[in-house]
Parts: sequence; structure tokens; C-alpha cells
Amino acid sequence: MARARAEVSPSVIIAAGGLILVVAVPFLFILLQAIFPELGRGSFAAPFSMLAGALGDARLVGMTANTLALGALVVALSALVAVPLAVLRALFRVPGAVAWDLLFLVPFMIPPYIATLGWIMTLQPRGYLAQVLGFDLAAFLFSVPGIVFVMTLNTFPVVYFAVSRTMETVGSRYADVARVFGASPARAFWRITLPLSAPGLGASLLLVFAMAIEEYGTPAALGRRAGFEVLVTAIDLRVSDWPIDLPGAAILSLVLVVLSFGAFLLQRWILARRSYQTTTGKPQDSTRRELGRWRLPVMGLFASVAVVATGLPLLAILLTALSRTISGGMARSNLGLSNFAAILGDTGGALRALGTSLSLGLSAAAVTGILGALSAYAVVKSRVRGRGLLDVLTILPNALPGIVVAVGLILAWNQPWLPVTPYNTVLILLLAYCCILLPQPVRYSTAAFHQIGDNLEAAARVFGAGPLTAFLRILLPLIMPSLLASMLLVFAVATRELVASVVVAPVGVSTISTYIWRQFEQGSIGLGMAMAFITILITTALPLIVLSLMGRRGSLL
Amino acid sequence: MLKTTLRAGVAAATLFTAGTALADVTVYSAGPAALIENLAAGFTRETGIKVDYFQATTGKVMARIEAEAANPVVDVLISASWDTATDFAERGWLLSYDSPNAATVPDFLKTDTAVAQGVSALAIAWNPASGAPKPAEWADLAKPEYKDLVTLPDPAQSGATFELVAALSGTQGWGLFDELAANGAIVAGANAEALNPVLQGAKAAVFGAVDYISFNGKAKGESIEVIFPESGTVIAPRPVMILNWSKNQDDARKFVDYILSDEGQAMVAATNLMPARSDIAADRPLIADLKILPVDGQTARAEVLETFGKTFAR
Repeated sequence: MARARAEVSPSVIIAAGGLILVVAVPFLFILLQAIFPELGRGSFAAPFSMLAGALGDARLVGMTANTLALGALVVALSALVAVPLAVLRALFRVPGAVAWDLLFLVPFMIPPYIATLGWIMTLQPRGYLAQVLGFDLAAFLFSVPGIVFVMTLNTFPVVYFAVSRTMETVGSRYADVARVFGASPARAFWRITLPLSAPGLGASLLLVFAMAIEEYGTPAALGRRAGFEVLVTAIDLRVSDWPIDLPGAAILSLVLVVLSFGAFLLQRWILARRSYQTTTGKPQDSTRRELGRWRLPVMGLFASVAVVATGLPLLAILLTALSRTISGGMARSNLGLSNFAAILGDTGGALRALGTSLSLGLSAAAVTGILGALSAYAVVKSRVRGRGLLDVLTILPNALPGIVVAVGLILAWNQPWLPVTPYNTVLILLLAYCCILLPQPVRYSTAAFHQIGDNLEAAARVFGAGPLTAFLRILLPLIMPSLLASMLLVFAVATRELVASVVVAPVGVSTISTYIWRQFEQGSIGLGMAMAFITILITTALPLIVLSLMGRRGSLL
Repeated sequence: MLKTTLRAGVAAATLFTAGTALADVTVYSAGPAALIENLAAGFTRETGIKVDYFQATTGKVMARIEAEAANPVVDVLISASWDTATDFAERGWLLSYDSPNAATVPDFLKTDTAVAQGVSALAIAWNPASGAPKPAEWADLAKPEYKDLVTLPDPAQSGATFELVAALSGTQGWGLFDELAANGAIVAGANAEALNPVLQGAKAAVFGAVDYISFNGKAKGESIEVIFPESGTVIAPRPVMILNWSKNQDDARKFVDYILSDEGQAMVAATNLMPARSDIAADRPLIADLKILPVDGQTARAEVLETFGKTFAR
């Protein structure tokens, strides 16, 4: 212990500073807003006066129960869809593996509010499905199972990539040892491979839970008709309906944070009970088994998930983008490229919005990647005092709704006494995205660090490497596959983030999402969908190009 | 590597900050986006004064002003709900201004501290291709021909729909809304969310659609018709206000003048809103063509929303 305290690694200091700036500051102001209703006007009058009203709301219990149920159902269905696919992908030689990875990446790249609108336009009466096959599935879509279905399609890739990559790292070596000692293949899988992959599975399921309870677009668009109200929709109403109720929104957000924190503690408790160190420096054998006669059924499984999760939503988006009018339907005379031409012709500043969002997405991925890796290192590998607190900071934003982060950032950075402030510059969007998305790289890196034996870093130190060198040369490359995957997720989400962007965007700046949202508000659905389609193509292609340029074999795909 | 990254970060930060120097006039506007875009560009062209605007829904604009209250930056506010003007005036946040260009704006569209930019009216938006007969009256939409075929914008999210619900329930009680709910009408988000299913034909009509969005859709070739019931409807004037904390009050006044100028009002008319000035032509029904229902300014918002919510709760 004394040794660790004598030399606090610089990486830990950077992590702490970054976390305070990106997470602690806005969170502190949300907390203060919940306590002091007049905070926006710079007054600390009437502390705690709003607490009883907001928490005493009779509907709060129902909304909280709905939120928990929605989170749990999306987690369960995501696991059900993704884990079998991931296991097959990691342990067997699946034909066209890279193509499947790509196809399963796309659903995550489709912004949830776009996917939801696509499903509405496909499944509602006289929608695309009815135009082609003559029946509609509106009753299913506008129900709780419908909400869970649409949200799962967006979230299952998180579990798929995390589990397949973790399981690949675990490899078959440990299972082979079990086989040598007489275990059946099934027993070796259930008792060795699957449990050793638990960090990746747990981390991804936790993210899915947080994404599900924090997601606004889908429950708002589909849940209303089912009479299904969740905390986020109630929070958004408090922030959008005059008179604005910021303290009420802040208090309800804290309820969400408590839920997410509960899930986090549960996950940590499960993972803390054993060691998952499988990367020990010994050579790994990564041969995959043949599928044999299961080849066709497995291909069928991959294909049907790809059709439902990727094919149908993309088709709906493309069809809408190609339609001159919505009421014209799928008639050939109604289809054309005019919406795409309008985007490329920079209608309403479309190209500038694309540029802004893409550079913000890249910056957010870079910042959260670095900060996430350092924070995870500080929490898992260092023995610094107060690292538990750092871990708490990394989990806090997990369940903060985007709109509340936006309000916290405005409260924090629009103080008149600040000499310089990122507010009303593009930097405030970067701060918002980093705050909302930091949990992703942290969770992925933490899971990866848990699998790395302490002896590797120790060996580097023995041979004279400083703490930073050991981190950069030994640990960072080992967690790189997981870290890159999470940075990709950050890029995708930051590029399309809507809820915080709408409120916090500097005057005169549009992002992709605010652009699309404006088109929808004005009834130009086709133009919005054309922008969405272009965005999906770019956000899918860009990371692939970057990764292939880096030439890392199998790091993500 | 870290140092390089940090240095790059600092460089990027400087770049971002330099790129967005604050403009001469900062305008927060509730839609339509194209209108504020054109007004800002036209104003800069005419006066050389730079305008930066933030455009969102009325609710999001208000949330931002509320969160910024410690250090407000907005000079001119354009809301889609007249309630904003009343409420802000009561709080003493507004500057009195009587623009010379507002002379032909009717008295009911201006106060000491606010003047309408344009006016929308609420209507039935009906899709002729939906197969349902053409409705003429609000009450028609509760008939069996429209079973499960009607959407309403949520009055909690659309200020204009709230006015309609308040006016109709105030003049004739909640009976019509009970019948609509019993007839399977659904409440679907803000204005655009209510219109979208009608365009595709999943539903036949919007009860209380904001007219200019549907007019614009029709102009683009959508199969949609705007029907103003003869029994009456409500209008939603969109107030323009100058905030009293503005440090650019002269420029702000000039911007209000520009909105009310011939050129500015022509831009308003081009978005299919009714111009606030009575002497500007527009290619659509104007206030004089419509029967306007009386709106009780004292309506208790929370009560109306609660009764409405209960009526349409399953």
C-alpha cells in the first residue's frame, strides 16, 4: 500500500481531473438544482422545497416500475438474441463472419428515434408492410412488447460485440483443459467458457439496461398509445411544458441514477466474487471449431436476425427518403432522389450539420476513449485511495437523461462570473456527449482490465519501465480491442445524439440530429430520412475504414 | 502521446471558441426553421447587423431560457404560444416597444411588450385518400366513419392544441372529447407526430392540426386537405418579444421592425402562416375568413390537461 501511495501514476491524476470536469461538475449542478429550486436565477432560496412534491407524485411508483420493467425486458431480450449469436461467432467458424459483424453493427448505427419512425411507417395500417403484404402489425408495435422489440434491435449489438470479443479472448484453452479432465463439451462451455466471459456479458448488459431506461424517443413515440409512461418521458415533459419545472426534472433524474446505480452494484457484486484473469502472457490458441451439420441452421439464424434488425429498418428509411410525398406510398411515380439531392445541395445547412456532428463524434470518441482507459486503469489496476469514488463518477452519467445533462451543463457553465466558458461554443456539445457516453469506454476497458493478469504490468516494471510506459506499451495494447469497440459506439451515438443537442446546441449551430428533428417538425419526413440514411452510411463506414487502415487483425471486425 | 493529445485538444478548443463569437442580436425562435433562417439572412443583408438564432420547440426554448436565467443571452424571443408573452410580461422580463411597422397589426395581436409575427389557426387535416368521408365539423370526427381513424396532438406538447381544447371544452363541455375517445381517437405527441400517420393513411384526420404545416404538405403534393369548421376554431398568434436584459436593445428593436416590414411579413406569408399585418396579402384563409372561438385567458392549464389526460387514458 505504501508503495502505491508514494507514486500516484500521472494517468490516475489525468483520469481524476477529466472525470471531475466531464462528470462531476454537471452532476453537482443537477444535484444542486434538485435541492435549490431557484438555482437557475443564482439563488439558494427555499432548499428542499420541491422534493416532497416531485417524490410524492402518485404516478412516480408506476413510472418507476414501468422503467425498471422496460430495462429488464430489453436486457433479457437483448441477451436472448445476442448471446447465442456471439457464442457461435466466437467459438465456431461461421461462414462470412466479418459480413455478419458488419450487418449487426448497422442496427446500432440507426438512431433509435429514426428506427422507431421507420417501424411505425412499416407496421401501421397502410404502412409499407400493408402496401406489400396487405396486413399491418400496429397492435403489436404500439404495445409494451413492441417497445421492447424496437429497443432490443437497437441494443443487442452491444451485447453481441462485447460477448463475442470477450469469449474470443478467453479462447478455447481453458475449455480444452476441462475437456482433458473429462468434461463434456457442453459442460466445459457452461462451467468454464461462459463464466470466464462474464465481465464482458455483465458490462454490456449493464450498458443495455442504462440505455433502455434512459432512452426517450421510442417510449415517447410508441408508449403513449399503450398508456405506458416511463421516467424519461415524465422528465422531458417537465422540461418542455411551460412553466418549466427544472427542479422536478432533476429530482426524477436522480431516481433514474439510483436505478442505474443499483444495476451497477449488482453487476459489480456478481463480478467481484471471482477472478477473470485469462490474459496472462501465455500464448493463446484461437482456433475455431467447425459447425459441421449445424452450418445451415446457424446461417439461417444469423440471416433472420440480420433481416429483421438491419434489413427492414434500413429499407423503411430508404423508402421514406426516396418518397416525394408520404401519402404517395410506394408507387414508382412517387419515388425519386430529390431528397438526397436536397441534402447534397446543402438545403437548410445539411452539409454543415453533417460536418459538425462528425467532427464532434470523432472528438468525443477520442476524449472518452483516453479518459475511459485511464479511469478504468485507475479503478482496476492502481491501488490509489479514493478509486472507488472514481468508479462511482464513471457510472453516474449512465442513467442521466440527455436533457438533464444539458440542463446541468447550462447551469454549470453559464455562470456570469466565469472568465471563459465553453457555453455557447461547440465545446459544450462535446462536454455533453463526453458526459453521456463516458460510461461506455469505462465499462469496456474495466472488463478488459479485469482479464489482464497483474504479473504483466509487474514484469514490465521489473524490466525498468515507468508506470506510464508500462501502461502505454503493455496494458493499453491489450485492452485496445475492447477500447476501440467502445470508442466506435461513442462515435455512433455522439454523431446522432438528439435530446441534449436540442437544448444545449450553441446559437447558430445544427447537428445531424437537430437537423433531422427540424425536418420532421416541419413535416419534411423524407428529407429527414434522407439525412438519416446518409448518416447511417457514414457512421458505419468511417470506423471500418479507420480500423482497416490501422490494419489491426480482428480488433473489431 | 498523451501530451500530443492534450495539445491537440487545446488547439481544437481555441478553434471552436474563436468560431462562435457572439452575434449582434441573439434570437430564440420556436419554428418554422426556414422562416427564422430567412428572416435572419434578410435582416443582415439589409442592415449589416449579424443575427444568431437558436431554433427549437416552444418548450425547449423555454427550458433553455429557464436554465440560463443566471446569465441570460437571448435578446429577442419568438414563441409559438401567446401564453409566453403574457407570462413573461407578468414576470417583468419584457421591454415595451411599439414598432412603427406594427401600425396595421390588429390590436388583439399586440400588447405593450409583444407583437405577433404571424398567426396560425387550428383545423381538421384530412387525407382524401384515406377512404373516410370529408369531415366538415369537429363533431364529425366522433362519428362511426372515423372509428380508430383520428389523431390529436397532445395539448401538453402543442400550445395551439391546448387553446383549442380549452376553448371547445369551455364553450361546450367535455362531451365531444369523451365521444372522440370512445371512438378510438389517439393522442400522438406534438403536431408532426399527429400528422404523420394521417399522411400515410393509417389515420384519416387530425383533430386540431396546426394549419400551416398541412398547407406546406399540400404544396409539396401530399394528399392532405385543411378544413376550418364553421362552428369555429382558435388561432395561435406567435408573439415576438424583446427581453429586458438585452444588451443589444437597439439592434433588437430593428430586428422586430424587420419582422414586421413588408419583406419580413412576406416571408411569414410564404411559410403559409397568416401575416400579423392586415395589409399583407397571403394565399390562404385569413382571420377575417374564420370564425374564432372565444378563449378564456384565465383557463387553469393544469386542470384542462388533467381532464384531457383522464378522458384519453385507457
